[in-house]
Amino acid sequence: SKLADSSTPRKSITLSNVIEEFPSGRRPSRICTKRQTFGFYCDAADDSPEIPKTPRSARMGRNPTTPKSAGKAQSVATTPSQKMKLLREGVITPTLGSREGALKGRKSLLEVARDHLHVCMYISGVPGTGKTATVTEVIRNLRANAEKLKLPKFQHIEINGMRLTEPRQAYVHIFRQLQGKTVPWEQAYNYLERRFRTEGGKKSVTVLVVDELDMLCNRRQDVVYNLLDWPANRAARLVVVTIANTMDLPERLLKGKVTSRLGLTRLTFKPYSFRQLQEIVTSRLGGFDGFNGDAVQLVSRKVAAVSGDARRALDICRRAVEVAEAEKQGTVSMGHVEKALAEMIANPKVQAIRACSRMEQVFLQAVIAESLRTGVEETTFMGIYAQFETLSSISGHTVPTITKSLEICARLGACRLIISQHSSSDIYQKILLNVSPDDVHYALQDKA
Amino acid sequence: GDTEEDEDPPEETCVSSYQKARQMLNSSATNNLPGREKEINELTGILQEARKDRKSVSLYISGPPGTGKTASLTKILSDPEMSKAFKKIYVNCTSIASIGAVYKKISAELGAKGAPRSEKDSLQAIEDALVRMKDKMLLLVLDEIDQLVGNKQAVLYTIFEWPRKFSKQLILVGIANSLDLTDRLLTRLQSRCELQPRLMHFPAYTKVQISQILTQRLEEGGVSGLFPPATLQLLAGKVAAISGDVRRALDIGRRIVEVAERSHSAEKPLNLEDLGVDFLPPDTPIAPKQVLDVMNSVYGTSQTLNEDLDDVFPLQQKILICSILLILKKDKNRDITLGRLHEVYRRVCEKLTISAVDRSEFTGLCSLVETRGIVQIVRKKEAKLHRITLQWDEEDVTNALKDKQLIAEILTATSCLGKKK
Repeated sequence: SKLADSSTPRKSITLSNVIEEFPSGRRPSRICTKRQTFGFYCDAADDSPEIPKTPRSARMGRNPTTPKSAGKAQSVATTPSQKMKLLREGVITPTLGSREGALKGRKSLLEVARDHLHVCMYISGVPGTGKTATVTEVIRNLRANAEKLKLPKFQHIEINGMRLTEPRQAYVHIFRQLQGKTVPWEQAYNYLERRFRTEGGKKSVTVLVVDELDMLCNRRQDVVYNLLDWPANRAARLVVVTIANTMDLPERLLKGKVTSRLGLTRLTFKPYSFRQLQEIVTSRLGGFDGFNGDAVQLVSRKVAAVSGDARRALDICRRAVEVAEAEKQGTVSMGHVEKALAEMIANPKVQAIRACSRMEQVFLQAVIAESLRTGVEETTFMGIYAQFETLSSISGHTVPTITKSLEICARLGACRLIISQHSSSDIYQKILLNVSPDDVHYALQDKA
Repeated sequence: GDTEEDEDPPEETCVSSYQKARQMLNSSATNNLPGREKEINELTGILQEARKDRKSVSLYISGPPGTGKTASLTKILSDPEMSKAFKKIYVNCTSIASIGAVYKKISAELGAKGAPRSEKDSLQAIEDALVRMKDKMLLLVLDEIDQLVGNKQAVLYTIFEWPRKFSKQLILVGIANSLDLTDRLLTRLQSRCELQPRLMHFPAYTKVQISQILTQRLEEGGVSGLFPPATLQLLAGKVAAISGDVRRALDIGRRIVEVAERSHSAEKPLNLEDLGVDFLPPDTPIAPKQVLDVMNSVYGTSQTLNEDLDDVFPLQQKILICSILLILKKDKNRDITLGRLHEVYRRVCEKLTISAVDRSEFTGLCSLVETRGIVQIVRKKEAKLHRITLQWDEEDVTNALKDKQLIAEILTATSCLGKKK
């Protein structure tokens, strides 16, 4: 950690560029250096005291009356489950950035932000690829180094589209973070308009991070328009970073004039490859050796094949630890991981079919038989009932009445094994199988 | 190294030509508008004439985004001579709470006393103020006027009727993107010739104009050596052919400079002693190749597709796309529902002996692919009935996938379509 500290200022020269104030558009010579290495994102082991302050962990640290949570924050973990608190999703660790992709992302982010004329940026990527974590970390670094270098302060404002009841509430949230007061949106908007449109005074740079951009798009798109139009004023000294999942959101959802303002500075976060996931899990585990290396690899490979979502990988690991704990074993082996995977990627439908009553199972078979006979997926209750009668008499059951069968049908519809369209139209209702026929065959193979 | 950090940053700056160019190519407002001389002259002419004759005029300016409509108006508004002649009000219609609130905003700008309580009061206040206006004419600019489009267009009609009602006081300028907004939405204005706004169109910038703008910007910063004419022509030609949006041209210009700078610094051996010392990179002009690379990464899909599908694309998602292609290529019934796609996908997985994900997971998988813009999902009441359409060109995807062994294998597996035996 000493080593990291001594190397920090050098990096900060580049990192600080965003928030330098150069009214004349010129910059001090030291800023011109072409260095772009960011090797100082050190290991989790020496970073644990300075885990970024998400509000939650900050509260924990400050509150001395709950010794338990304070212990968590210091991460003096001995048992696997305590160690696993480190795996807790949602906590951003600096090591997230040690991966290549994010590093590249950060570099371009910095380059983008370098001269704050270059002001709008769009970051996209599938969920769980570290978009918000990377942006938060870049800003955290900027702030830390700004203090160290006695650089003028910059204001960091964060809004999340998901947390707003209505797009215009964005103004209120921004105002609150600037002034600390809650006012109606019109008032907030007028203040912001004055602040960002008119020249005057020595304004500090404002960095605005807009998470979940797609939630801010209403029909009029006035909020998005304003957020992206302010930076175009030189006086605004505003950097806007927008984050969303969809890669082609600007083309798909936004109006032409908004897309034009958003610009082409875009950055896509790719899904994690299995190697990166492995690295993330390993670094999150720190020095803990109770987790089998092969087990980590299995988790990473399984997740990378489906979504490349880091949260998911960490989730499965945590579950595997819980399984191991329940079996009172100190180490997590492949077996535990496989159990956890089976739980999480299990097919609940097969189990649901197995748990059905005998007549319900026969009814499902009747649905398949009827759709095979007619050749179309969508069948009517009448046709199914005919098949149902045949099938149940073959297997030696008494045939339920139509009312009983409708009841069966309603039950299956309620647990979503079949879809009954317009269930009010009784015997003429249309029925669609909501599970694959193979699943039904597989579930019932020993009963046939 | 600690002493170095404690020093104040030196005042005198040495900015590399790359940085200078990047700063010059910013897309914020500017007062220098090459390529719009004709339009600005025309506008100024109309305004002067209106002032001389003291006759109200209404004007509608249209044009695609990024063609300098607002910039031209701002330039005219900031002209000191205009300030003497007119009282100016600029209202951006995105900034109002609702359509009717535009009156309140205008009356506030007009300096109406007291807070008008209702829309009607505000309207009255504006009209009173207009009547009282004797010495100066009012120049009212409504930017993004398409935001005022509502159900009945009552507001738009009221506003466009002002120039006739107050025939000596008002010059009204509306700005929007669509060419025919006044014809399409304000049909009633056509019945009265004097009500019809005068139309003015800002066409998309041509290749010559874009290169002119870029050249001028670079000359202002004294870094015109960075972009040789050939590269500028290439960049301008490409942008003009696609959109003619100058924001886009400036954006790409900046990107090119950034990429050039990065590759330049990558060549430099990095050593720690260098850090305090600064160096000015020599002006290596940007080659046409660099322009093409950036342009392709911005506009090309097939290239990014190739790169995407190579390694980082999750395997299950690859199989999903291949299944869509298989259905599109080999099956007569080309209409894909999520349920059907899952059936095919399961058979493909079975054939490749890969474990398949179940339906609920598969639905999630589809929406992950959707975020990349490869497919679009038309949502229906049931997840099973969601309709999936391929958004990228079928040929492009096939070509990108062609030489991959896995894909070739899937595309020949017609049996997976599950024809009824």
